[in-house]
Amino acid sequence: MAYDRKQGQYQVAQSSRPDYRLEVGRAEIPVGEPRDFVVLDQARAATLKAWTSTLIPAAGRRPDAGSVGAPEYIDATVHMVPSIQPALFHGIDEVETVARSRTGRAFTECGAAEREEILRQFHAADDTDAFNMVSDFTYEAYYGHPKVLAAIEAENGWRGTAPMTGSAMTPFDPAKLDRVRSMPPLYRTVAAGKGRKA
Amino acid sequence: MSRVSAADVLVIGSGAAGAAICKRLAEKGARVVCLEQGDWIDRARLPKAHVDWEVRGRRHWAANPNVRRWSADYPVGSEGADPVDVYMYNAVGGSQVGFAGNYWRMAPSDFRVRTLDGVAADWPFDYEELAPYYTINEAEVGIAGLAGDPCGPAREPLPNPPAPIGRAGDLLVNAYEKLGWYWWPTEQAITTQAYRGRPACDNRGWCTFGCPQGSLSTADLTYWPGALEHGVELRTNARVREIVLGPDGRAIGARYYDKDGVMQEAYAAVTVVACGGLGTPRLLLMSTSAAHHEGLANSSGLVGKNLMVHVQSFATGLFDKPVDGWQGTWGGTVSTRQFYETDPARDYVRGFIMSGCPGWSALNLALQTAPWGSGHHRAFDERINHEISLYMCGEDLPEESNRVELDWSHLDGFGMPGVVTHHELNENSRRLGRDMIAHARQVLEVAGAKSVRDFGLAPIWGWHLLGTARMGDDPRTSVADRFNQAHDVPNLFIADSSSMPSSAGVNPSHTIQALALRCADHIWDRRRDWDPAG
Repeated sequence: MAYDRKQGQYQVAQSSRPDYRLEVGRAEIPVGEPRDFVVLDQARAATLKAWTSTLIPAAGRRPDAGSVGAPEYIDATVHMVPSIQPALFHGIDEVETVARSRTGRAFTECGAAEREEILRQFHAADDTDAFNMVSDFTYEAYYGHPKVLAAIEAENGWRGTAPMTGSAMTPFDPAKLDRVRSMPPLYRTVAAGKGRKA
Repeated sequence: MSRVSAADVLVIGSGAAGAAICKRLAEKGARVVCLEQGDWIDRARLPKAHVDWEVRGRRHWAANPNVRRWSADYPVGSEGADPVDVYMYNAVGGSQVGFAGNYWRMAPSDFRVRTLDGVAADWPFDYEELAPYYTINEAEVGIAGLAGDPCGPAREPLPNPPAPIGRAGDLLVNAYEKLGWYWWPTEQAITTQAYRGRPACDNRGWCTFGCPQGSLSTADLTYWPGALEHGVELRTNARVREIVLGPDGRAIGARYYDKDGVMQEAYAAVTVVACGGLGTPRLLLMSTSAAHHEGLANSSGLVGKNLMVHVQSFATGLFDKPVDGWQGTWGGTVSTRQFYETDPARDYVRGFIMSGCPGWSALNLALQTAPWGSGHHRAFDERINHEISLYMCGEDLPEESNRVELDWSHLDGFGMPGVVTHHELNENSRRLGRDMIAHARQVLEVAGAKSVRDFGLAPIWGWHLLGTARMGDDPRTSVADRFNQAHDVPNLFIADSSSMPSSAGVNPSHTIQALALRCADHIWDRRRDWDPAG
């Protein structure tokens, strides 16, 4: 349960450097369960929904992240981890500020291409980690959702639910090893007991 | 403070090593008490019991204790030029709670690294002495694999057949055949057929996210049922504060906090520390007294030193055709020891293994490679089900400067110190790592990958935490002797990953448990020595 943590800009999670990646460890939020907003007001919730839908838009059978509960999942997370609420509030408000300065309209009133540009501008200037936090949580909410996994399976055959059900596979054929079995041993022999105490 | 009844043997830690010791000794008739600072895991809560298993693996089940922060966890800092991202679990079964199940025997040369290659330290015994215990462990755990690998000595048949290798394995086999290299189906601690009451693996994959059906051989399923059946008393939520010595300098037991935070004591004729590569030095360093200012069993000054973590990486190839990566054991399809032994033609000593795995799961892959925005799905679809990975594990040489120390600035929930690790790859490890990655890329390219990406050498994965209380014949250069007995305290044993003098280049679980079984037999054979009444 750790290999996903080795990514390009990943920093080692350790006790002396608090960040959202550490804070969320105790926030176990089942993905896909229906839930209402409990922390965000209506306006901020709408901005966050548009934000998450811009991060992962709809395509083919796949829904956008905002429509499968990503903003509610983020809201539930910060509800359980109040220490990261300020970063979320700051991020949402900054996105609105950038939207209004670029277009004169609210973020939710912008088109898809405009939203993407607004988020890229915010991301480039964000020194609070708020953008990365919302992105990570959005990816979690999206790729843990049964509707999304079903859509992926329908479109490209990836069985995201196979870990729940298992599947049959062809047993290993030992005849494949015929060449290797005929090769000489490939390890160094060591004189038993040499240089050892009795 | 209340007193708790005495036992023959007190084992501290219920993970891979502690579980094996408990069962082995109890079967022989010893009265055994085990203190575990965590609790039984709730198998119904394991990530893979839920459709959002990847998300659960990043939060409540995160392998890094600083993220997970269960009540039994202690803070772990990571310092040094190559800081270790520490992965471990404090629970019944220990860090096997989140392991992949790759089970390797070390090679005979691994026990003689100083003699053969002039580096690290020789083990105080040879492969042949540990081999019978490898065999016992293979039966206890239910290893899947095939005997006959020419990259190691002859051995008995394994109890279960190898796991299916799938399309990913077939592609890798073709590559190895073209290259003319050695390869072999990866040995895994997975019951590929019904075995000792556990079901056959049905290829659900992503084994590190838990195996709710119980085919992955974690210690809570392998050793613990038998240990409890034979009368071992397992006390969970028991956070040990210190090992207690009697007036004669012998260990008489341990003081610990129970789940209510009340201090308790447990007494036994013999005490065994099996808390892992960080937990064992932590406990020994906490166990100070007038006679042991620098911690218990630490006259050599080596408790906490020589931390080894393995040189590890992944290389991932992108293939045109689907690889059905959603099925099959994740820890390995086929592996190679082609570059395991020292080769004078290379610019480093020691070597590495490479094990094939299916590619990456959906969330993991998306986080790695699919940028947000309008190009997200295109990038995701290009790679999902079209990637194969090679896991690489190479030998990390011991350095005294690589160490674990107490961290009194970050305490656990009971006021006991956390730890901080310091680690830097030495030049040999860096050269080995670069060569290892180059060879993995070569395999994937020969297998037909149209592109290959790798994960480099940093940050360091901290699954394998080794060497911090190493064994050896010389009390000046080791903490414990050839039977895991502390040089400084005659009835104290250190029997886990911390006792390994060198890391070898393979996943260590099998060796850790074989060492533990051997230690248990020694304790039993010498039982008259431990009886205070003589």
